[in-house]
Amino acid sequence: MSRLFVANRGEIAVRILTAARSIGLETVLGVSAADRRGLGPELADRVVVLGPAVPARSYLDEKLTVQAAISTGCDALHPGYGFLSERASLARLCESEGIVFVGPRAETIDALGDKLSARKLAVASDVPLLPGTPALHSADDACADAEEIGYPVVIKASAGGGGRGMFLAERADDIRGGFTRASEEARAAFGSGLMYMERFIRNARHVEVQVFGDGNGKVLHFGERDCSVQRRYQKLIEESPCGILPEGTRARLHAAAVKLASDLAYRNAGTVEFLYDSDTDEFYFIEVNARIQVEHPVSELVTDADLVALQLKVAFGEPLELAQSDIESRGHAIECRINAEDPDHGFRPAPGDITSWSAPGGDGIRLDTYCRAGERVSPYYDSMIGKLIARGADRDDAIERLDLALGAFEIGGLRTNLVLQQFVVRHPDFRNNAISTRWLEQTGLPAFAERQQEPHHGAH
Amino acid sequence: MEKRTFQDINTLIELFENSEWRELSIEVEDFSLHLSRDEGAAGSARRPTLPARERPADAVAEAPPTAEAPAPAAESANDEELDSLTVVRAPNLGLFYRSPKPGAPPYVQIGEEVGEDTEICLIEVMKLFTPVVAGVKGVVRRICVEDGALVEFDQPLFYVEPVTGPGND
Repeated sequence: MSRLFVANRGEIAVRILTAARSIGLETVLGVSAADRRGLGPELADRVVVLGPAVPARSYLDEKLTVQAAISTGCDALHPGYGFLSERASLARLCESEGIVFVGPRAETIDALGDKLSARKLAVASDVPLLPGTPALHSADDACADAEEIGYPVVIKASAGGGGRGMFLAERADDIRGGFTRASEEARAAFGSGLMYMERFIRNARHVEVQVFGDGNGKVLHFGERDCSVQRRYQKLIEESPCGILPEGTRARLHAAAVKLASDLAYRNAGTVEFLYDSDTDEFYFIEVNARIQVEHPVSELVTDADLVALQLKVAFGEPLELAQSDIESRGHAIECRINAEDPDHGFRPAPGDITSWSAPGGDGIRLDTYCRAGERVSPYYDSMIGKLIARGADRDDAIERLDLALGAFEIGGLRTNLVLQQFVVRHPDFRNNAISTRWLEQTGLPAFAERQQEPHHGAH
Repeated sequence: MEKRTFQDINTLIELFENSEWRELSIEVEDFSLHLSRDEGAAGSARRPTLPARERPADAVAEAPPTAEAPAPAAESANDEELDSLTVVRAPNLGLFYRSPKPGAPPYVQIGEEVGEDTEICLIEVMKLFTPVVAGVKGVVRRICVEDGALVEFDQPLFYVEPVTGPGND
């Protein structure tokens, strides 16, 4: 029997452990001292405590993680998302120790991890890119380039992600005012202050394609996801399919993602992210996420796939026998991230003990979570406590189910964003699918702040 | 393949004994045999078996440490005495070594005096060996882990009886 090391925590650890069990793998879960107990540890065949709660000495320490995998006799390691998932050095370390890394090859992660290098790959695969620049050397440089590209522009960190070291410039003054600070922020956060620039699209949708490769050049896609409801570049609601794409554009989008991944002989699961300009019906490459993503369940629900189990099977050497014609998207699925944070007070994190937990269920409802009554939401880690996903015959049906499920979800003991998620899902702009990546910050949140205050939902 | 008999196994053991092999593993259908010259080895040395639902390290720490203590009973502290002793715990997961290098004498023995800065074992993480110091002046009363074993973060490694009074700074 093969044995898998799960190098993550929270809901994705539970998700991976469940998938591993479903295909008959033994499992070892590496945890921090804060995560000794809980649903994940109960599902694992063995639990080892790597280090203290602080991530740098547990979940972010690749050597500890690989040592634990070796010493517990594991054949493979699944990194989940976040933490070590996109560190090429982890993939390399696993490989040199004879442990299968459930993910892309180290060179692929390297090539895609740097945004400038990823842009080069996209160019080579004829994937459309936003007009942009190579590395910028100074604010003056950036101003000259911005004149050519045309304002507004976004200035981003080459090594960045999650919006850090990134800013919007409407005019040259904005660049002069923000360049140095953003570059320093990027250097502090990612170890590199290298910046580049792209044209900014006013009505952008974030649309991404789920791809899966066998590592030998065969690449399948599992449709696209629209993740345009974002706050500070963090996704809050994701859905599949993207309802506003014309069929021809959808087909071209899928083809572009598959071409890029095929040219890399991409191995395992990945996501090719695009910006879609709904005014011009054009899409542009953003980046590739070389891992399973938080929002993978919406793709699973519409294509009837188990992407995590597929990750494990392919990693353990099973051929990818599925053909593209076997994968059909049916119905519509929407996911809400449930975070322990207070949307009425600046989204401040709200860790604590869950005193009561009454989760919705029923037809078309899926909940991916590690939480339940009595669980402690640790202040050391991400505030996401679960993902509520609804599948319906079409988008309206999925929204109805999601709305009911959000209303029925009661979590006691800490504040969550459930009330905001229900507000968004009920908002006419969301229902009419007339949003952009800036909609939540510009329209949704101000409307939420001015809503008729109802008695607090669930928590008190 | 015909059924393996006791005689077959004896033949294999003889073959092994007369060889220069350190280990021999055979797996044929439902039959498996593992022979090793290493006295510490039990079962397949390469792949630790997974006991169903092994307890995390803190559960072990809360329980009386008798179950995991291979230390000689004669010199070792009694369970009742352990309460008054200071526990030296693993700073992180890793492999526990009692000696600075293979074949060298252990850093410390039961009954030996240690100071706060006395190195008492090594923890290895991917070929990186980090010494652990006692952190307390006293006498080693129990060694909780076998040489070469995997230890988890916070797992008790040693029990040390603190020495108080003059000279203790």
